[in-house]
Formats: sequence, structure tokens, C-alpha cells
Amino acid sequence: MDVAAELLAGKVAAGARAIRWLDDRDPRGREVLRRIFGATGRAHIVGVTGPPGAGKSTLVDTLIAEERRRGRKVAVLAVDPSSPFTGGALLGDRLRMSRHALDEGVFIRSMATRGQSGGLSRATYDASLVMDAMGYELVIVETVGVGQDEIDVVRLAHSTLIVAVPGLGDEVQAMKAGLMEAGEIFIINKADREGFEQTRRHLELLLHLRAAQPATGTWQPPLLTAVATRGEGTAAIVDALDAHRAHLQKSGEFARQSSARCEAQFLALAHAAALEQLLARAPAELLAQVRARRIDPYTAAERLSDAAGNMSPAAGA
Amino acid sequence: MPEAPARPLRILLAKLGMDTHTVGITVVAHALRQAGMEVIFSGLKQTPEAVASAAIQEDVDVVGVSSLSAGHTRNLPRLARLLRERGAGDKLLLAGGVIPPEDVPLLQEAGFARIFTMGTDTREIIAYLERWWAGKLTAESTPA
Repeated sequence: MDVAAELLAGKVAAGARAIRWLDDRDPRGREVLRRIFGATGRAHIVGVTGPPGAGKSTLVDTLIAEERRRGRKVAVLAVDPSSPFTGGALLGDRLRMSRHALDEGVFIRSMATRGQSGGLSRATYDASLVMDAMGYELVIVETVGVGQDEIDVVRLAHSTLIVAVPGLGDEVQAMKAGLMEAGEIFIINKADREGFEQTRRHLELLLHLRAAQPATGTWQPPLLTAVATRGEGTAAIVDALDAHRAHLQKSGEFARQSSARCEAQFLALAHAAALEQLLARAPAELLAQVRARRIDPYTAAERLSDAAGNMSPAAGA
Repeated sequence: MPEAPARPLRILLAKLGMDTHTVGITVVAHALRQAGMEVIFSGLKQTPEAVASAAIQEDVDVVGVSSLSAGHTRNLPRLARLLRERGAGDKLLLAGGVIPPEDVPLLQEAGFARIFTMGTDTREIIAYLERWWAGKLTAESTPA
């Protein structure tokens, strides 16, 4: 099967295989990315994040339903943690989305973090490119349950939904959290629960404080409420997503964000490649000395970079 | 490539049929996770069509189906056929649960490699999967 050609034609099996290759760091994955890259940059990437138990998967389930009602094809990347001890993972997010199993306009993929911190897996960005190239108009990225600053999804997504729930208590935690500075749309899910008013007042205050900061741009993050298990509040969330997308497109921010992601990915790849080259040419005894604690890591890193400075192209040939 | 490929086994666990007994499949899911596998849990009361879709979307290596209510002689062969028809016939198919010994040949005929009946030790399932996985990886890395 010609994976790149078939996924560009929207074939799910091909897209699924490409994502597997990228997740496994199989070299065939990069070849596919090279061929499909020109077809990316169209999808609206939507992040969904929040603490464990906030109801993210159920909310995503209702978002899929509403987006489908509006006639859009939807892809979902649902990230769950890998065990740091065994590398294994239990990926159960699609359980909550099983009513869409037979809808051909919906592609749901579970991913394990595979050692990556930050709430996503290393291949999540690449997987979103595959789904984008397959023609999904919306790619929803659901992060692992996050605590304070695991907010890589903000850099990946055009629009990030922050999902909170009443009664998680400890409001100081939320104050510390980078979460409050990050999202574009705030949702209090399980709004029928005790403690709703308190949570609402608290989030309103935080959003008010945030609005006072000059660096936050012209978008005013709305605070919405939902009871995802009953589908309540979903239409308003999708309206807000549409409004945010329109806002990004009008300001040129939509394209600028795609460029920024592209640049960040380039730098990450270049970083890894450069490091590998550098280490390959490092004096063999340097690493041994560091391991034996005969030399401190700071001096060792300096020597390595000095050595790199001496490696002119001519000298390296 | 700056980093070596890393390929954990991915397995979809699903329940066919109308019962809601999840203890067995939950125990198996946790044991496989402990063994370093990525386990996707797709839900209860699944139809063969839904399980086939999930297996393809997740690009798993193995599909494990638990069936505790009758209907397995119809549902399991149907799942195997759907996967083959949709170009996903390369996945290892396993079944477990309440399956009378006299039905085992029919399921094997349909493409199920192994039937784990009630009371199977999870270590037996893990050992079976690890053997199969090692064989598959060796076969794929050896030029034909």
C-alpha cells in the first residue's frame, strides 16, 4: 500500500499506519511526512486539557457530535500516560466516544505519552499533520490529565479548551497553574455539581486578572459551562471555537501559528540531529570521565562545544 | 534518524455481546500494561463492526475479544471477516471468556489464533503474546 497517497485520499487504514510509524519512530514515517506536508496547514487544531477527572473525554465526545451536526469531519488524538516503569499503557479515552465508532467522518486515535512529559506524546504533532492531510477539518487533541504546567498542547493547538470542574478544591493550585494563562476557552464541566458557584467566581476572577495583563492579545477568553454527560453547553462551546478560529484567521494569527509550530518542530529536529553529530565526534574519554565523576558536567559540556567550534567544514572533511 | 525505532505491541481489547461483566477484561488489561504493552480499551457491548473500525483506526497488532454471553459463534467470525475485507487481516485475533470447547474449532477456522477460556492465568496470555511478537519482529527484520 502506498501509505502517503492513500492517506491523502482520506483512507483511514493508511493514516492509521502512518501514525503508527511516526509513533514508533520508524523511518518510513518521515518519508510519509515529506510527501504529505504540502497538504497540511488547513485543519483547525483544538486542544482539550484539564485535570484528571474533569470529564475531558466525555466533553470531546459531545464536541464530536456537535461538529458532525455542523457537517465537519473530525479527528481526535487522545493521549494517555505510559507507565514510567514498564512502558505499558492503558488507553481508555475512546471508551467514552464509542457512539461514533461507525461514523466514517470520525477518526479517533489513542496515543501513549511514551516517556514525554508535558501532557502530549512526542509524535502528537506529527500525528496531527497526518490527520490534517487526510482532510479532517477539525483535529481535537485531548491531553493527559494535567496538573500545573503540562501545557505543550497550547503550542500545538490553534485553540485550547481548559476544562475545570467544581469541587477539585485547592484554588491556590489553579492560581499557580500555567493553565490559566494558556487557554482560549474556559469551561466548567459538571456544572450541576456542588461548588459550581465558587468555582465560577474563582475562574472569573482569574480571567479578569489575566485580561489586565498586556501580553494576552485581543481575544477575551469566554467562560462557559457544561454538563457533558447530558450534552449541555456543547453548542455554545463549538460556537466559541468557531468564533476563535474566525478571530485567528482575521488577524493572520492562524497562519502565523502554523508557521511557529513548523519552526519549533524544525528546531527540535535540528537540535536532536546536531546533538547526535556532536556526541559522535566527541572525544571518547569525555563521556567516561563524566560518568566516573572525574569531571563536572558543566566543564564537560564546555569542552564539547569548544571542540565543535574547532570543527570547521574543511577540518571535518 | 537521530533515535532508534521503538515499537511496543499495541493491542485492542473489546467486549462483544450484551453483558456488562468487566472484571476479566480489566484484569487482563492491567496485566498486559504491566508487561509493557499499549492496551486500548474500546468499550462494552461492542458490535463486530465497531471493533473492526477501532482496530483499524488504532492500527493495533492484536485484537483480543472477550465474550461472556452467547453469540460468539456468530460475532467472532463476523469480526474476523470484516477485518480481512477491510485490509486488516494481518492482525492477530484472540478470544476469551465463556466459550464452550466444542466451539473452539469453529473460531480457529474463522481466524482466531488462540482461545483463552475462563480461568486462564494472565501470565499464560502474556507469554503467548511475547512469543508471537518476538516472532513477528524477527520475521519483519529478516529480508524475504
